[in-house]
Amino acid sequence: MKWFLFYPELYYFAGGMAFVGLSLVKRANPRRDYFTAMVLAALGLLVCLANVHQEGVLFFETYRVDLFSQVFKVMLAMGLFLIICLCSELKAIGEKHHPEFYLLLFVCTLAMMLLVSGAHLLTIYVALELSSYSLYVLVALRKDRRLGLEAGLKYFLVGILVSAVMIFGVALLYSATGVTYVTDMMRALPAALDSPLVVVGLLLTLCGFFFKLAVFPFHFWAPDVYQGAANQATAYIATASKVAAIAILIRMVAVTGDGSVYMAHVLVVLSIVSMTVGNLAAIVQKDLKRLLAYSTVAHAGYVLIGILAMSTFGYSTVIFYAMALLAMKFTAFLVVVKVADDGRNLQLSHLAGLHRRSPLLALALMVAVFSLAGIPPTVGFTGKFLVFAAAMQKGYFTLVLIAMINVVISLYYYLLILKAAYLEAPAEELPPLNISPQIKILAGVLIIVMVVAGIFPTYLIELASAAAAVLQ
Amino acid sequence: MVYADFPYLSAILLSCIAGLLIILFTPEDRRALIKWISAVFSGITLVLAVYLFVAYDKSLGGLQFVEKVPWVESLGITYFNAADGFNLPMLLLTGIVFFTGVLTMWELENRVKEFYAFYFVMVLAVFGLFMSLDLFFIFIWYDVSLFPMYLLIAVWGTTRKEYGAMKLTLYLLAGSALVLPAIVYLFVQSGLNTFDITLLMEAGTFTPYQQKFAFFLFYIGFGILAGIWPFHTWSPVGHVAAPHAVSMVHAGVLMKIGGFAILRVGIFLCPEGWQHWAWLMATLATIGIVYGAFVGLSQKDLKYVIGYSSVSHMGIVGLGLSTVSVDGLNGAVFQMFAHGVMTALFFSAVGYIYDRTHTKVIAELGGLSRIMPVASTYFIVAAMASMGIPCLASFWGELVVFIAAFKTYPLGGALAVCALVVSALFMLRVVQRTFYGPKNDKFAHLADVPFGLGIPRMILLATLLLFGLFPALIFDMIETASIPFFNGLP
Repeated sequence: MKWFLFYPELYYFAGGMAFVGLSLVKRANPRRDYFTAMVLAALGLLVCLANVHQEGVLFFETYRVDLFSQVFKVMLAMGLFLIICLCSELKAIGEKHHPEFYLLLFVCTLAMMLLVSGAHLLTIYVALELSSYSLYVLVALRKDRRLGLEAGLKYFLVGILVSAVMIFGVALLYSATGVTYVTDMMRALPAALDSPLVVVGLLLTLCGFFFKLAVFPFHFWAPDVYQGAANQATAYIATASKVAAIAILIRMVAVTGDGSVYMAHVLVVLSIVSMTVGNLAAIVQKDLKRLLAYSTVAHAGYVLIGILAMSTFGYSTVIFYAMALLAMKFTAFLVVVKVADDGRNLQLSHLAGLHRRSPLLALALMVAVFSLAGIPPTVGFTGKFLVFAAAMQKGYFTLVLIAMINVVISLYYYLLILKAAYLEAPAEELPPLNISPQIKILAGVLIIVMVVAGIFPTYLIELASAAAAVLQ
Repeated sequence: MVYADFPYLSAILLSCIAGLLIILFTPEDRRALIKWISAVFSGITLVLAVYLFVAYDKSLGGLQFVEKVPWVESLGITYFNAADGFNLPMLLLTGIVFFTGVLTMWELENRVKEFYAFYFVMVLAVFGLFMSLDLFFIFIWYDVSLFPMYLLIAVWGTTRKEYGAMKLTLYLLAGSALVLPAIVYLFVQSGLNTFDITLLMEAGTFTPYQQKFAFFLFYIGFGILAGIWPFHTWSPVGHVAAPHAVSMVHAGVLMKIGGFAILRVGIFLCPEGWQHWAWLMATLATIGIVYGAFVGLSQKDLKYVIGYSSVSHMGIVGLGLSTVSVDGLNGAVFQMFAHGVMTALFFSAVGYIYDRTHTKVIAELGGLSRIMPVASTYFIVAAMASMGIPCLASFWGELVVFIAAFKTYPLGGALAVCALVVSALFMLRVVQRTFYGPKNDKFAHLADVPFGLGIPRMILLATLLLFGLFPALIFDMIETASIPFFNGLP
């Protein structure tokens, strides 16, 4: 056994255990929990960074550590660290539940790390379920029982339905090919892809990941869960959880080699419908978290564009897009969390006067929104551009055109967010937002990262290409 | 290609960026300081633009002041700036309008810092687009120039500003939605893994079908920004809603981006597509000229009048491009320059009047020439330029385009010239109702333009006169690019 390959996972497991211990302490102490989580998450990020260049297989080859998985682990660790930065005022969660909240975040991150390294259908399924169950509870933990429980229950019901479908797909795949290892599938599948049983099995298996990524028609949970969960939990679902979903989707589609025409067609349709439904539904939203939920659905559509190119270049563009999504979605949620400082749900109209109350947050929101909309010179634009280029190489001109039209549609509601933050005056004069220096630095760094990574993307593109190269 | 010993082109961009950063770190209540900073840095860009215009070696021609740095090598993206006969007049125009725009907004008091910050971002992108020869960068600059517009109009604008801002932004980004797929399409089809326009041109690997297809997308996509009929409707609404300096940059420079990008991207890369679609360009341009003139006739708002006259004048640019001839190209580029200066003067003059009277409705004004003779003069000169009176710059652009158009499209040329008469009629009508006739006593106490505020208007007026009297200054410049380009066509 080469245990050092497994250090990040072990670390996060230990982190989770630490919070099990803390939850046993009788007196609630949110500051203590917050600082513990902060330190553990920061160290975890360093552990993941130190392990980026590890390679190898574990557990009878069911677990693969390669550059692809390690890059995603760094992104997940980064996501967890960023989310915990937002937890200094965790008012939407009851004080005595704070250790459990952090415990679930750590366990969920651990599960997603297992997921991105999974090389066997069973490992993948177990990891997926572990991360999903952590999220169900995270959503339901909200202090406002009515909102939290309803959202958690909805998430759970849709989730178990989809996992049933997924496990059925896995069974079909096994019955058709007789393999369960991803490496074996890479050998067996390309030849068997003309068989309807394999295509159906593969698509049903992918459903589990579509659900995570909120691709149409598995997006129904997204708006309700985003709205019902505590702001920080929503931020986690929108960032880290999406990154993991993208990773496993890439790995599963990559096993098909050049892919089959049927599958590509299904993915094209799903992509178009996701973008269009997400963007059109987002236009009418008043709740900012619901709006961001629908924008996530649209982004899932853009992600699929890169995946359905089914080329190494395509996968690398999607990895880049995942990095971009992490930065821009998180920045949007940073603003949500900080403006709704008492943990309430944020309406679009609550943003009014933000440019007076905190010019820095307003600027961060503007950059994030333009990045989400795909306006240069932000990282969101570079990501979209790369994804479109990958699809164009395979001749999907119409798809790219439809995606660009969707970008224009989405711009409408993104501009509405900006309008609320920059133009509208609040009904009554609101005091300036009280923002700690750390958050100010964080917001400043995020703004710089989004712009600089958009203007000088070379390093990230090369990293993504190297990560995608190990898939073949 | 002549490489630059000093990166003058990047220096223009850098002075915009430096100005932007200094403004961002200046306290918000130091309004006068922010305005001076803006004036100094926009002045630097103007000086640099004038220097480039003068220092360009016309006998040598071709690309000069070239700056080339690989950006993303795996995708063939290059930071590639150069000056040639096509973009130098545009850079000069941008410098002039930028500087005079800053001075025109000297009386601004509301959210000054943010205004100038967004204004600098917009102009930075416009400069970048005109000097760039890399498709990827052209697209980036194109989009960057658009997004500050929304806030600039929606915060500091006037009539129906939120509607105008949203309409303008969505229309123009819809244009970019057509352009980006076309750019990526050409990138992929060329197989050269480069976005460098000169390399793509030299290779000439695009089949006639690809050229026709891509040119159509470029024409419509960029054409929306150039205000071609029937995609012009954002333009009058947006111009009316925008604050004066933004109207100046927008009508004066940003619409030219559309025409210029059709030339630089569409015509350069897809010459066969250009020849194939020339009939469509000519038709839409002629309709635009005639339509703009007639709609302008019935407007009641001063800025709407200018907005529709812009549609009409940008039609002349389109008509020039559609003739597929050296004269047409020369005329189109000259017309872009002349129209830019002219509309800037228009909006600058209206800006002064509006800031005093708080109305742009023609019927409420009247007899202004007796209240503010100097302010009226600026508007009237702009109106004369719009009518195409000789001695002012726009005369030459229109003349050359019409001569070229008569050779190629006798009917279109004839219709356009008739429309010119109509547009002269509506301009005269506006001038007569606004500046002559009975005086509105409500405005009798208003002061005329003081010297300081008159500076930007004087610069614009002087430019109109200079290039009206010596059009060869620009025509010689354009010919260094247009004749070699035309001779190189298959």
